[in-house]
Amino acid sequence: MTVTPTSPADAGAGVVQPALGSRTRRLLYGSRTLAWLLLLPGLVMVVLFFLAPVVLTAAFSFTNMSTATGVSGGVYQVAPSSISRLKTALPDLADELSQPRYVIDQAGLDALGQTSVPKPLLDELAAKHMGEVFDNRRDAERMIKTLGGRPSTAVVKQISEAFNRSIVNARFSSKTALFEAIDGLGIKATPEQKETIADNTWTGWVWTTGNFERMFASKDALRTMLNTVFYVAMVLIIFNTAYAMFLAIATHYMPDRTSGFFRSLWLLPRITPPVIYVLMWKWVAWDNGFLSMLLAPFGVAPRNWLLDTGTNAWVFVILINGVVGASMGMLVFASALKAIPQSQFWASEVDGASRWQQIVHILLPQLRWPILFITCYQTLSLLASYDYILLATNGGPGGSTEVWSLAAYHTALFNYAGNLDYGYGAAMALVLVIIGITLALLYLRVFNYRALVSRPIIEH
Amino acid sequence: MAASSAPSANFRTWPIVLLLTLLSLPLVVMYIYLFVDTVTDSSTGSLIPDTFTLSHWDFLWHTKVGKPSVWVVLVNTLLFATSTTTVVLLISSMVGYALSRLNVPGRSVLLAGVMVMHAFPSVTLLIAIFVVLQMVGLYNTLIGVILVKAALDLPLGIWLMKGFYDTVPWEIEMAGITDGASRFTVWRRLVLPQVFPALAALGLFAFLSGWSEFILPRVLAPGNNVQVFSVYLASLIADDNNFDLSMFKAVGVFYAIPVIVLFVLFQRHLMNIYGGGTKG
Repeated sequence: MTVTPTSPADAGAGVVQPALGSRTRRLLYGSRTLAWLLLLPGLVMVVLFFLAPVVLTAAFSFTNMSTATGVSGGVYQVAPSSISRLKTALPDLADELSQPRYVIDQAGLDALGQTSVPKPLLDELAAKHMGEVFDNRRDAERMIKTLGGRPSTAVVKQISEAFNRSIVNARFSSKTALFEAIDGLGIKATPEQKETIADNTWTGWVWTTGNFERMFASKDALRTMLNTVFYVAMVLIIFNTAYAMFLAIATHYMPDRTSGFFRSLWLLPRITPPVIYVLMWKWVAWDNGFLSMLLAPFGVAPRNWLLDTGTNAWVFVILINGVVGASMGMLVFASALKAIPQSQFWASEVDGASRWQQIVHILLPQLRWPILFITCYQTLSLLASYDYILLATNGGPGGSTEVWSLAAYHTALFNYAGNLDYGYGAAMALVLVIIGITLALLYLRVFNYRALVSRPIIEH
Repeated sequence: MAASSAPSANFRTWPIVLLLTLLSLPLVVMYIYLFVDTVTDSSTGSLIPDTFTLSHWDFLWHTKVGKPSVWVVLVNTLLFATSTTTVVLLISSMVGYALSRLNVPGRSVLLAGVMVMHAFPSVTLLIAIFVVLQMVGLYNTLIGVILVKAALDLPLGIWLMKGFYDTVPWEIEMAGITDGASRFTVWRRLVLPQVFPALAALGLFAFLSGWSEFILPRVLAPGNNVQVFSVYLASLIADDNNFDLSMFKAVGVFYAIPVIVLFVLFQRHLMNIYGGGTKG
């Protein structure tokens, strides 16, 4: 309602510069505190919900944050999945990590002290073998059998089990704890190898440029990008400008009451909450809905027109968004046409101009700036907003109406697989944020520069 | 208008009216059926309703399994829309005044920032906002989604209010200040009443926008306790177990009552509001 080429701000600001007495000026300087008080809540909101998210979107896009990694910290865990990942880099070490080790340590001795295992046996074990590490159960049990007192097989098994030290699924809060555990098990690893193990067992998120590599390599991303260009171009050209222009010009040539009725009618979809509006279209497209019933007498099989083929889905997506989007152009163009002096029409009619000539020579030239304005404005909002597509086709059938912003939503905020990929989604959003900021700066440069540079009425 | 004030001697109006009527017909049919279907039934394969029924409005007294009560949803939606509107009005009228009239350091930078944010498609920030709300524990709360919605509407509000303050004659404030009133009193008692039309327009827009909002509550507050109407209706439609278009339409009409009332009352104002470059 404000960033029109004829904004009231253009006219208002900087016009009156009253001469100020010294008393008034003093009072004005007192206004600085008030200014801060008035600005503060707004600044807090803007920093929290605009600036921070912009920075965070950029930051998140260089991470692999997802539901699996969580958004806060993580731990080092030698989970089966991390071992299988490790196998490609360090096959031998991965194998070793996955095998249980038998370590004769105090914890095991203490545990056995609580059981019926003979005390002398344990003392001998502690004295002779403390700290020894066995690679497998057989070696450990062979050693136990050599102990005095000839323990029975059951006791041998009991003892060996008490010293079974597997690292699999153990969780370590720090790298040092992980490395100590690896050393304690007698697994020989160089510092670099340890780092690799740490990288592969970390459950939290890490910094990475992988999202962008994935995006540039992805066929899906390319297809989504092409979908987006197609979608924005079609809605913009057919409805937001051409049809809006038709509505504005058509209603311009009608009596006031009729034009008011049609303009209200075409504004209605814009005011109707999106969920209800899309529901009405679903009723039209449903397999026992309006269209199917209407075509039944002509032998057309009922079907869900919204989702049966990609082409039909596109027709509906463009219609649904176009009918909503046409209203803004219609109103902007209509107010531009209203500004044309009546005398121009009378003069042209006296000269015998046809209606077409009137449109081409009087109406259209007046619309040049409004068309540029609508184009810039709607490009931005079409690129970013996806509620109507989400509600209508949800990107279907088979991803054929998936646009960039909706794909980011599906990646990071909602999908049926359940693993939400915040990092990749943020990278996709970042593309839109960059395009958004660039276009916003560009079109403000074109439309509102004067308002920006004008001084307030009272400033020194 | 060319045709009304001076009916054109050269052209007739009716062909254009006829053409536009034909083009508008589908829209009219869709809206008529939206209302008619909620209180009627028609036999299979027919578009002409034959029986009157109130069964589609059953949702008002019978809560659907696994869904919140429609009255809880109504209260949530009212809370959401009115709180958002209040926050937007309050902060926009304050910041707008400061930017229009007061001696703020870095004022032109702030103004440029507001304008960029106004043009910027803020919904792209949703992923980061979602993570932030999870971190601060406001995810799935009404207060969280209210703050976010209000913040995203703010640049528009601030810009609108600033524009209106700019048109208020400085003499009003001068008079107040010379009479010894503080700047705050001048703003509250003398200037605010002058921009009441702007506050009304902004309030109307913010309320409608909050009432209709779908994506933000869908992502930031989807839980049953905090569900708003758009999310509730969308989840009904998405639920394959009880597909009933007429019931959906009844819920939709119930949901749309405030919108319809405001549309009927303020048609002309709405056309001004939506004709100038609000998001959409």
